[in-house]
Amino acid sequence: MRRCQRCGQKAVVYLPQHRLSLCKEHYIEWYLKRVESTIREFKMFGKDDRVLVAVSGGKDSLSLWDALCRLGYTADGLYIDLGIGEYSQRSRLACERFAKERELELYVLELRKEIATIPEIKEVESRPACSFCGQLKRYYMNRFAREKGYHVIATGHNLDDESATLLSNVLSWNMGYLSRQFPVLLEGDGFVRKVKPLVKFTEKENALYAFLSGIEYVEEECPFSEGASSIEYKKTLAQMEEKSPGTKLRFYMDFLRRLHPILQTQEVELRPCKVCGEPTTAEVCSVCRLKERVIPKLLSSSPSS
Amino acid sequence: MRVKVSYRGQTLELEFEGERVRVGELLKALGLSREYAFVVKGEDVLEEKDTIVDGESVRVINAISGGYI
Repeated sequence: MRRCQRCGQKAVVYLPQHRLSLCKEHYIEWYLKRVESTIREFKMFGKDDRVLVAVSGGKDSLSLWDALCRLGYTADGLYIDLGIGEYSQRSRLACERFAKERELELYVLELRKEIATIPEIKEVESRPACSFCGQLKRYYMNRFAREKGYHVIATGHNLDDESATLLSNVLSWNMGYLSRQFPVLLEGDGFVRKVKPLVKFTEKENALYAFLSGIEYVEEECPFSEGASSIEYKKTLAQMEEKSPGTKLRFYMDFLRRLHPILQTQEVELRPCKVCGEPTTAEVCSVCRLKERVIPKLLSSSPSS
Repeated sequence: MRVKVSYRGQTLELEFEGERVRVGELLKALGLSREYAFVVKGEDVLEEKDTIVDGESVRVINAISGGYI
């Protein structure tokens, strides 16, 4: 039986990459300290900042929201209802229950009121749903946070997300994406600062925190993510991690320390979208272009037209 | 022996030879890695070497999630 290295009680968690065995209480303590040190290391935000946490009802975002509140930050939640049938209903309920139990402020933005639901858009778009879904979430998250006066948007991206994205970007040498892959994207030109305080935690570490803290989250995956490329990259990295613990953290952190600074040479020129005014590199932003394509098709296919 | 497994909103019944099964073998039977999945019994997180006996119910948490990159 493994013993907690802090108190000698029975350990519930063993973290091979850190060679650390911890009991429930000390795991939660370790997790919170690591969230705090990541926020400080990357100068993400301070106690005076108003933080908006993008919550999906999953383990990562709810663990993040919980941790930020326990650490004494001012953090409200934003749930974007994507209208994906039962999956969205369950996710929304998980977020609403979480906020109610802790007396936290949760905003809900319904995508069907802004453009259409993800399944409706998918009917008329050939791209993978995750591709335009991510684009829409980033757009509405930024607009909402800016309009409500939040200083920072925090998302629950974890080490597995970041190392899988890094692997994908390296395999295709996508220099634009590589130069922007960082746990802090600074504010400016209409963008609110975006931060990822959980980048040093694996998905399993976040799930353990959620389980041990009694956070009820939605375990089921979005039906549109079936066969997603990121799962294959994550499984490949998991195989490497099993053989050599610490590989993922080293891969990601060494990228941030060694390669990322070298890539910061190109300035991106931003301007307001001529339709909606949101920041973009093109004349018309990608969401307005999506609306232009999708809305006429949806109107012509609706039974009332 | 049979083990009742609660997994991502579903209840599965898995059958193994012998009278007990190790947590690591259970994960393997589900095609999951210890890197992203773990098994809980009641309030406890089980270790890979822990055993589950006939008729016991456990919950398997698979932390992997995905999307388009």
